[in-house]
This record gives sequence, C-alpha cells and structure tokens, in this order.
Amino acid sequence: MRVLENLKAIPGMQKYRYVMILLASACLIGPIAFLPQLVGADDLCGTLCMRRFYLYFPGMTWDDFFVHVNAASIGVMAFSLIMLTTFFYGRIWCGYLCPVGGLAELGSRMMNDRWKIEFRSLPQVQIRYGYFGFFLVAMPALGISACTLCNFITIPRLVEALSGEYRGMVYFVSSVGLVNLGLLLLLGFFASKGRAYCQFMCPIGAADGLVNKLGSKLKFTRRIRIEEERCTGCNICARDCMCGAITMVDKIAVIDQLSCMSCHECVDVCDWNALAWTTVPDHSQPKRIKKGVEIYPQPDWQVLNFTPNKADVQASTFKSHSRARMVNAFILLSVLSVVIAGSFL
Amino acid sequence: MLKAILVISSLFLLTSLQAAPRYSDPDGCMSCHALEGLSFIDKKGVTRSISIDRSHYYSSLHGSVPCKDCHRKIVDYPHKVENGYADCTESCHVEEPSEGKPYTHKPIHKEMEKSVHGDGWFKDLAGGNRLEEIETEQDPSCRRCHSNTLYILESQLENFKDAFDHAETECGTCHQGKAWMGQFGGHILRRFVGSRWVKNESNKLCMDCHGDVEKMRDVEIEDPETKEKHPPSERFIHAVESYKKTLHGRLLIADSEYGASCIDCHAPSDWRHNIGHYEDEKSASHSDELKNTCGQSDCHGYAKKPGNTGFVETDMHDMSMIDIGKVGSPLENELLKSSAWFWSAWPFLLATLIFMVGSLIWWLFYRHNKKIIAILGGDRFERVMIGRKSKKARVTARKSTVKQESSPTVETTPVTKSTENTSKNVIKLKPHGSGTESKNDKKGE
Repeated sequence: MRVLENLKAIPGMQKYRYVMILLASACLIGPIAFLPQLVGADDLCGTLCMRRFYLYFPGMTWDDFFVHVNAASIGVMAFSLIMLTTFFYGRIWCGYLCPVGGLAELGSRMMNDRWKIEFRSLPQVQIRYGYFGFFLVAMPALGISACTLCNFITIPRLVEALSGEYRGMVYFVSSVGLVNLGLLLLLGFFASKGRAYCQFMCPIGAADGLVNKLGSKLKFTRRIRIEEERCTGCNICARDCMCGAITMVDKIAVIDQLSCMSCHECVDVCDWNALAWTTVPDHSQPKRIKKGVEIYPQPDWQVLNFTPNKADVQASTFKSHSRARMVNAFILLSVLSVVIAGSFL
Repeated sequence: MLKAILVISSLFLLTSLQAAPRYSDPDGCMSCHALEGLSFIDKKGVTRSISIDRSHYYSSLHGSVPCKDCHRKIVDYPHKVENGYADCTESCHVEEPSEGKPYTHKPIHKEMEKSVHGDGWFKDLAGGNRLEEIETEQDPSCRRCHSNTLYILESQLENFKDAFDHAETECGTCHQGKAWMGQFGGHILRRFVGSRWVKNESNKLCMDCHGDVEKMRDVEIEDPETKEKHPPSERFIHAVESYKKTLHGRLLIADSEYGASCIDCHAPSDWRHNIGHYEDEKSASHSDELKNTCGQSDCHGYAKKPGNTGFVETDMHDMSMIDIGKVGSPLENELLKSSAWFWSAWPFLLATLIFMVGSLIWWLFYRHNKKIIAILGGDRFERVMIGRKSKKARVTARKSTVKQESSPTVETTPVTKSTENTSKNVIKLKPHGSGTESKNDKKGE
C-alpha cells in the first residue's frame, strides 16, 4: 500500500516522463538486445554500429570521416535530431527518452534512498568536460577508442549472459565488461536519483549540455528558467533535481544550464511558481520604480499558472494539454522507430 | 487395394509393353507357390504359409524379377528351407543404362553396416525366418522396413497414368524405339512421377519400432567409442513422443511437407541409411555436425553463420514437452539443473534478499526523515548545494542557543519574542526545511 501511495505522490508530469522513458527503452533497448543474433553479426560492430561517426583515430583524414558518417548515417541523423531538439526545447532526449540514463534512474528511484551514494554535489561540470576532452583527444592518442569501451554491446551481452551463453558470461568477467557493469551499478542504480553516469561520463550528454547552455542565452528557446523574485529559498527543487543542476546561492536557486535536463521535476515541486519551462519573460525594463524598488509586470507563464490554489491550476491546465502531449510523444516515437527500422532494412 | 492392383495389372495388359518381362516365371516356381494354402511345418512345429499371391507379387516392386535372381541356391524342387535364403547385396537383374553394370544394393548395405542399425540381417532372408528375426534381433533387417510393396502406390496411380499417356511424345523425342521404352520407360517414369518415400511414410517406418515404448526399453545401446553396451536413456525411449511435440513433427502430422522427417536430420546424406549415435563424430546429429545438418539446403541455411551458434542448440527431443509420469521435487529435476537460467538466478535471488531486508530496516529507521539520507555524500550535498552549515558548526550553534534559552531572563525579553515570531514565519514558508530549529523552539517552550 505504501508503494501505491508513493506512486500517487509522484507529480503528474513526472509520471508521464517515466512512461516516456519506459516506452523509449522498449523501442530502443529491445532491438539492440537481439539485433546481433537476428542479423547474424557477432556483435554490434560494422554495419550495425551507429556511433562510429565520432570515432577519431590518429592519421585520420576528412575522407575517412565522411566514410564513417556515410556508414553510420542513422547515428548522425539521431545525433543531429538530439542536438536540434536540445537547442530549442532543452535536453528532451536526455531527460525523457534516453534509455541508458532513464532505466538507471527508474531503477535507482525504486530503491530506498539509504542505499545510494550522493554524487550530485561533486563538481560535475569540471569532471564531465575534463573527461569529455580526455575522451575526444587523449584516448585516441593512447590508442583507446570508444570501441574499446563500447557500452552498446553491453546490452546484448547481458541478455546472452542471462541466458547462460558462454560468450556473454566471459564478457562480464573481462575488464571492459566489468567496467560497464560497475558503471551501471555504481553510477546508475546506486547513485542518488540514478543520473551520475549522465553527469560525469556520457559524451552525448556532454555535447548536449554545451548546446543546451548555448541555446539558453537566446530568448526564444524553452528552458527551465527561474524567477528570482519568487524564490523563497525553500530548496526543495535543489534536493529533488536529479542532475544536481540547481544550487542554492544566498538562499536563491540558481540553475546550471550545462547540467539541466529540463525534466520538469523542479517545476512540479515548487510551491511558489518560481520555476517554469519557458522562454525568457519579456521584461528587460522595469515597468515602474517605486521607492527604489524595480517592479516588473507579471510574466506570461505566471499569469497563466499562478493562482493561490495551485492544485486547481494543475488540474485544469495539465489535463487539457496532456492528451495532445501524449499524441505528440507517440508520433515522435513512431517516427524514430520507423527511421531506425528503415535503416536496417 | 485389390481394385488398385486390378487397375494396374489391366493397365499393363492393355499397353502390353511390359507384359512379357514382368510376368516371367522361367523357373516355374509359381506352379507350386501360387497354390492357395500351401504350407509346411517348421522345426518348432508351427504351421507356416508359403503360398504367394500371384497378382500381388507381380504388381509389387520386385514383380518383374524372376525368383531365382535372388533365391540363387535353389536348383531343383522340392528344395530345402536353407536354400531359399536371399541376399540383398547381390547384383541383380537390371542393368544401369548409363554404366552398363548390373544394379546392386551393395552401397546401401555398406552405408547401413556403418550405422547404428548395422548389425541387422541383409542376407539369409527367407520367408521361414521372419518369426525368428522378430524374436531375437534388435537391429532391423532390410525387409523389416522394405517389404516388397506395390510397384505404384494407389495414391500415385493417377499421376502415373497421366505421365504414361504422354511418354511416347515427351520421352520419345530423344529415346526412340520401342526397346528403350519397353525396358526402362515404365521404371524411369515411376521414379519420375514421385518419390515413393514421402516424409510421413518414411516416418512411419521409423515409428513402427521406435514408437513402441516397451520395445525400446529393451534395446541395448552401443557406445560409439568404448563399444560397451548399456541400457537406453529415457530420452531415447520417448524419442518419438518428444519428436511429435516439435514443430518438425507437428507440421508432418498436419500433412505439411515443411516438417522434417526422422531421416531428414538423422541421415540427411547419401543413401539415407547412415543413422548414427549422437556422440559419434561421423553422425549427422553430433554437436559439431549439427550446423550442417540443420543448415542443409531448403532448411535453416542461416544456422551455418558463426553468430547463430545458439540456434543448433535447440532441443529437438525436448523431454520437458512430454509428460512421462515422473512428478518429483522441482529442484531435483535434471533439466532444471542443466539450465543456465537456473544458475544465474541464484546471485539475483541473493541480491534481492539483501535488498528486501535492507529496505525494510531502513524504511523503519528513515520513513519520517525528509532529508537526504544517502549512505555517502549526503552531508556534503547539504553543504555544497543547499548552503547549509557543516555539522560541526550546527552542533556548536545549537549548544550556544540552548545555553541562551535556558537562562530564566530570556522569556520576558522582546528580542526572543521577535525571534520566535520570525522563526514561526520561516516554518510556514519552508514546510520541508530546518527541522532542527523547530525542535529547539519546542525545547525552549
């Protein structure tokens, strides 16, 4: 019964996000788990590899790069799509669709908090981009490429190991397999909120974060933005932020757009409507200055959302939009799956 | 059946092309053996029939072969029983038109000899020793499966007639002259019209013996390496039942030719007699050979690919599919123990147990705690992200406030009242935060 209560306590938008993660995982993880057996290739290398367009090896020419891009066109398309949506809407892929971070997050959220390690307070930006630079520059120079650490192959190997096949078992006692398994457990299930891998290691996430930061400087892009005047410093958002993107500076929440995934949880838990997933409110000039205090008109999203009784607003606004949002999500997912299926046929 | 025989015989009478060679009885055997009720009493005193139905024999597969071609030792009559023995490996009546050599069953016999059924009879076959064979032999003789059946099956008769009507125009374009048509025309047409051994029929031959569970229990299996004989496994005894549960068997039962018969997998090559023990390296069912057996043409060609090694490990005689009446503890089940899923489940089970116990304990301790309760790094999070004071600073701050509040003058001073008011306001604004302050307030009151 406690489980049911906990489920009911999840904010509506987050329930929707969890469902999205599960659907996306079913669409993306499922095929990856069985593709090697179906296609008859030994692993996910060669024609099946979607990520070799960003491989660098010493002595590589531009021609080689374009060959890789051509061979992994599906990966390039997916990567561009991710970056494009990120630029306009925030890191939707990371927060709502990515099965690697998503499943780890769901697994972590199902466990008692006492099991977990708190990674969010570590200096994540420094670690992430330090590793990202190492990944891009130092590792190819040392002769280690993304292929050596390929974590795509973990999924089919895991399925094999569970079904008792020799090769899968061997993979998980090899160093690469152990590292991948360790990452999944330590930075996934046993990390608080389960997003430590996204924070520190994920190269796609690092690139995504840069685009996110870049886009957030523009006024028309949608991001999680804060109205500092409304922030009471209650720090619920900072405690609940799964990426550790919110820090309390002088008792006011500050969002780090390099890390924020636009998962919307801070908006759901804020009792004061200080946060919203929105464009920059157009009030660069104060409307009035009264006794030295600058007074701005209420931003659009606050006019829409703010009433003293927040529950009523949620019931009215969220429900009216949710069906259309679900339809949008299904269309997006089906287009993605068609593109992926089409590339293999 | 009789009708069919009549139709066949009338067909040959009318065409009269093959009538002369097929009805030859140059040695006059039929003058006695065609008599109805002809019989003798054997050594054990059993009356045995030696009567041959003339029309039945002539319409059979060997109907055109004179008796003496196989029963060679008989010179005059009455003859001894032993002189009637036939040998299936002798060269015989027909000459292969391309090579000019007399036809013989010898290659088939050679292949048969190497197979698991190799100890069966191939010579000394006579009508008189059928009973002896059934009582004493575990390996089948040639005639155990290949009885002298009808030359053309009833089901294939229409096809054959149709082909025979066109033989003059179609075969005759190249093979001119009545001599060829007379000698080989019918024979080649018969082979052309359709293979006699459709999958269901060949299965029937195997299942005639292997389908009998009680009979199979008495079989002694020879180990291919040590040549030791040992009793059969349950898997061998119930092989036919488990086969019928697979898709291979089910398709054939449903009259679909997409199924696989017994010999499709156990003797896929050459003369289809080289059935081997599954531990024998030459056998088609040996684990190293399976990829070729499953991957033979028209079947599962992809089984040969290196990534599909798992495919050939599908159990085609899955004992778990049939109920053989043994109900025991599931943990003692051999099939369960051989499953890798079973063994890989144990670590997961252990981990689940630890999680369940730990979660219960920690739920008991921390259910009312709304702070970050991560086992590592929670304090740092509060300090770095939330901006709270460190634990030491909090403790010292608490001690100083407690000292202040415990003094009797504190209650009356307006300063404390104002702090109380502000702290109450703060509590209203921050329902989830600053639990320690409220505790201090209660102590103060």
